[in-house]
This record gives sequence, structure tokens and C-alpha cells, in this order.
Amino acid sequence: MAVKKDYKDQTLAERLRDRKYYVPDSNPEFVKEVEKIGQTPAHMCFQCGTCTGSCPSAPRSTYRIRLFMRKINLGLEEEILTDPDLWLCTTCYSCTDRCPRDLAPTDAIMAMRNLAARRDIVPRNFLKTAQAIYASGHGVPNNDANRAARVKLGLDAEPDTTHKYPEYLEGIRKIMDHYGLKERADKILAEEG
Amino acid sequence: MRQYAFFLGCIAPNRYPGIEASAIKTSEKVGIELLPLKGASCCPAPGAFGSIDLNIWYAMAARNVVLAEQMDMDITLICNGCYKSIYEVNEKLKHNDELRDGVNEVLKEIDMEFKGTVDVWHLAELYYDPEIVGLKKLADSVTRPLTGAKIAVHYGCHLMKPGKERHFGDTENPMWIEELVAALGAEPVQYRNKMLCCGAGGGVRGYDLAHSLDITNEKMINLQEVGADALTEVCPFCQLQYDRGQIEIEEKFGITWGLPVLHYNELLGLAQGMSPDELALDLHAVDVEPFLKKIL
Repeated sequence: MAVKKDYKDQTLAERLRDRKYYVPDSNPEFVKEVEKIGQTPAHMCFQCGTCTGSCPSAPRSTYRIRLFMRKINLGLEEEILTDPDLWLCTTCYSCTDRCPRDLAPTDAIMAMRNLAARRDIVPRNFLKTAQAIYASGHGVPNNDANRAARVKLGLDAEPDTTHKYPEYLEGIRKIMDHYGLKERADKILAEEG
Repeated sequence: MRQYAFFLGCIAPNRYPGIEASAIKTSEKVGIELLPLKGASCCPAPGAFGSIDLNIWYAMAARNVVLAEQMDMDITLICNGCYKSIYEVNEKLKHNDELRDGVNEVLKEIDMEFKGTVDVWHLAELYYDPEIVGLKKLADSVTRPLTGAKIAVHYGCHLMKPGKERHFGDTENPMWIEELVAALGAEPVQYRNKMLCCGAGGGVRGYDLAHSLDITNEKMINLQEVGADALTEVCPFCQLQYDRGQIEIEEKFGITWGLPVLHYNELLGLAQGMSPDELALDLHAVDVEPFLKKIL
């Protein structure tokens, strides 16, 4: 007769039997959210590690893309969205290019960053880029030294973008306002001081 | 003359205007006319912006594409980051009805509609394409061959990867930009881990500069090993990371490399006889002089 292995602690035994839910705060829906935003079937990851092996950030930090892929499938939403390593992906897409399951771990990271941002967890530099684009249309705007250099080259001081045609800024601002992005960026940055 | 709407992006016009100037002048000599895409904005930056909300990234990039649709003209651009935003969003919206409808709902507020009527090209691929320009025509435009210069190539990530969403073939060891370099009379050199990222992308340069520079520094070690006279790329953001990054590496890590970094358009400009002044090479953080001495 086969002996069933079990823990003496009945609650623990219960939890471990249902492998999806063995961490108390896991969210089994999390993988579905990531898959929807990232448009990649993250649940198919079989943890081979090709992604971490290809990653330029892995050798110089604790960022491990394979670990994130595992945590997605374990539904460890809290742990993922509050992890500072989430922002160390350079989005080089080497892992995506090499994934033997044809997944896009990079896009899973982007999806998780989007989900973190919904909770106002976004590093300052990301928000500042958004503010700069709202103000001038450019993430990296023109400056006086560059204007002088442009004129010397025979170019106009302002490029043919929103810099020369600021009337186009209204459209850009309307799109960003549609999502309330500027307001949110201002608020988060003000709260951080 | 083939005409294209010229999408500038941010870093080329606002930090390295020589890249913009050389794109206009060099392409003219091989039968391409670049027309201003009036009112274009930041692509917007795929890493920094897309990380916050991909939907806004789609809508903002789509606005730039629609400007070209209104001109009834394909877009060409000179930056890999812009390529990711503009090319990828254009392709995604063309093939995903749900996504396109969502974006068009937002664009309606500013009286615009994404129709999917234009294509997006990196200027470098137009130079390589034998049906547009091709290596022979490019070589014929050279008046001052870059003979004797050993030049390493950094492809950059967002032009080529993910490979299955692009059309550039092999992404592990591509050679087509080396062929573009050889067409100028220079000697392209290979180095270890050529396809490694420059370290700037995904918002990491702004988030953790030391981390991002450490990646750049690994590239510099590998480039030093093969004795390259210069590094060339087709992305102003990679250029910024390598060029200004070398100064930052010096400040933070105490390591001096002094490797000149030039956008392929700048190299082509030099080979077609443009002077360093016409390319604003003095704006480069790393002195380009040692390289110029070798070729002029």
C-alpha cells in the first residue's frame, strides 16, 4: 500500500497540496494580467535560464529575469511590483531573441512595470522624461549651446519638430491628459519631494 | 530622388546635430531626399515612456506616424530607439485591430486617425538595400576613402531585436553594417560579444548610471582588445552612452578609454568629403582628432 507523504501540521499540508496558493499573498490572476499587457504567454516558461544567461544586467546586479518569470507564475505580485530590480532591464531583447519557448520576457518586464506604475511605483527618471515630453514634445529638449551649433551647421536653431512648431504640442498634451499622465507624474514627484 | 518624411527624434537634433546635418547631406548624394516631418515629437522613448504605460506609448508614437500619413510618405529615421517606437507601433497597429481601434479612439480627440498607409525605415537599411541605394552606389559616392582605419560596429538592440518582429536576418552575428563600413574604404573589425547592449536602454541610464556604465565599460574592454580606431553605430542614444559615457566612466571608475565614437552618417559624411566642422564633431565628448588624423 502506498504511503501518502504529508505534514503533521494540517494547515500547512492543505496549503502545500494546492501548489498554486502556497504563498499566502499570491495572486493567481497576476500571470493573466502580465500576459494581457505584455502579449506573451508567460505561463509557458520552463525555467531553462537562457534569459538570465543572455542578460547584460544579470552579471552586475541581483536582477534575474528567470526568477521574475518564475515569480509571475507563482503569482507573487507584491514581491515583484515592489522589487527595485524590476527597473534594471535595459530592454535589449536578447532573452526574447533566444527564448526556446518563443516567449518575450522583456515584454513581461514592461507589463510588470506598467502594473507597478498603476500603483505609483515608478522611478523618478521615467516620470521626468514624461514631464519633459509634456512640456516641449521632447524627452531630451534643445538648449542654447546646441542651437548655436545647429546654426553653424546651416540648420535652423530649432529642429522641424514641436520645437519649431509648438502649435503641435496641444495634441501631445491632449493624449497624455487622456490618461492623466502629467497629473500623476507631477503628484508622485511632488510627494517624493 | 526618392522622398521620405525624416523623423528626427530627440538626441540627434538636440545633442548631436552633426548626425542630422550629415543624414540630409549624405543621403542627397545617393538619391534620397529627406523632407521635414513637421510637428513630430519624441518617438516617445520606448524604455522610459513605455514602462509607465504602453497604451500612451502606442498613441503618442501613432501620432508621429499619422503626420507622415498626412504627407503620404514613408518615414525614415536615424535612431534605434525611434525605430522601436515608430516602426514597431506602426506594425502593431497595422496588424492588431483591437489595438488600432483603442488608439484611434484617443487620436479622435485630436482629429487624427491611424490608417496604416505608410512604412517605416532606418536610413541605414535604405543605404544597404540594393533597390534603394546599395553598397555600390554608396562606395561610388565616396571621395575620401577611410583607408587604414579600423572601425568596430555597434548594432544596437532595438533595430534588430526581437528578430522575429524584424526583417534583418541573423541577430547573433550580423555583418551588414560592417559591409556598409567597408564600402567607405575602412576596415571593419570584429570584437567579443559584439551584440551586447550599450547599457543605456530601458530607462537604466537614468535609473542607475553606474550599472549602465558598467555594461558600457565591458564593451570598451572588448573594443580595446582588437585595437579599434573608432566605434560606429546607427543610434544617437548608443552614441551618447559611449561618447559621454566614457567621460562618466573616467569620473566614476577612473578608467580612461579615449575611443572616438561616430554615427554611421558622420562617417559617411567624412568619406563623402564633409569637413569635421560641417559635422560638429567638436560636440563629441571624446576627442575625435586621433581618428581624423588617421583618415585625413
